[in-house]
Amino acid sequence: MKKEEEKKEDQSNSSSLVQKIQALGQTNVPQAPDSNIHVLSIIGQVEGHMQLPPQNKTTKYEHLLPQLIAIEQNPKIEGVIILLNTVGGDVEAGLALSEMISSMSKPTVSIVLGGGHSIGVPIAVSTDYSFIVPTATMTIHPVRLTGLVIGVPQTFEYLDKMQERVIQFVIGHSNIKEEKFKDLMFAKGNLTRDIGTNVVGADAVDYGLINEVGGVNEAMKKLNELINNNKNTENQVIQ
Amino acid sequence: MILYTPLSESDIFPHTDNAYENRQCISYDGKLMIADKNNDGTFQLVQLMSTDPQDFLNEKYLPGSILS
Repeated sequence: MKKEEEKKEDQSNSSSLVQKIQALGQTNVPQAPDSNIHVLSIIGQVEGHMQLPPQNKTTKYEHLLPQLIAIEQNPKIEGVIILLNTVGGDVEAGLALSEMISSMSKPTVSIVLGGGHSIGVPIAVSTDYSFIVPTATMTIHPVRLTGLVIGVPQTFEYLDKMQERVIQFVIGHSNIKEEKFKDLMFAKGNLTRDIGTNVVGADAVDYGLINEVGGVNEAMKKLNELINNNKNTENQVIQ
Repeated sequence: MILYTPLSESDIFPHTDNAYENRQCISYDGKLMIADKNNDGTFQLVQLMSTDPQDFLNEKYLPGSILS
């Protein structure tokens, strides 16, 4: 009787093992205690009002906005780290995310990994402190439109206003000067047959767009420092 | 068939609407995730959308795992 039970257990164990191997090609992952820091990854394209084909890797803003609210209201979460590797995407969705992140009371730190292009720029600068790894790049270029465009001057004005919103956000949340940012945005000859600039790691810091060159270690240190500062100011208010 | 073209794959083979059919955004264990619905009614996890880094260490939520 006992042997039969053991046999059954053995079988179920091995079948779950097979399932795991089929699923991911590995059997176990390390466990760790609860974390007071949450992670938000912005990967692939930032998806806005238009749904992209399922083979595209996208970050949907309607999923991230409630998560940001959840982070803000959860007392156990003390800080957020934003991981960016995006090619850009919907301007309105990107600005919505940026505004949400910048208006959070909890400390936020971003790391630009690989690429933080186009609308990734305002998202990267929206945090309290931003990092870029040395090999990451950020493409700064004018706003573009795909799909049906009505060929009237008003369309251009609309685009211009949209661009102004992006510019105002970036200069308001980073140390870059408006003139410099516009210079980079409208530069010729940097991107072949296109207008804009591809800013690499250390250059982004030199321009004042990003605070510091660094990776995970630096970002975690900075976030913990910000969390401690945040705690201290809270205590002072109570006293 | 070999195609030599600067066009993207989706320009040549437009994706059909049924590509979206099986992919759903579901809430499982109170966590938001994108999953494909299998023919037998179970879901296969495609992407976990959680901000808690510990959720990504949870074996239950490995991409590709079957949710039941």
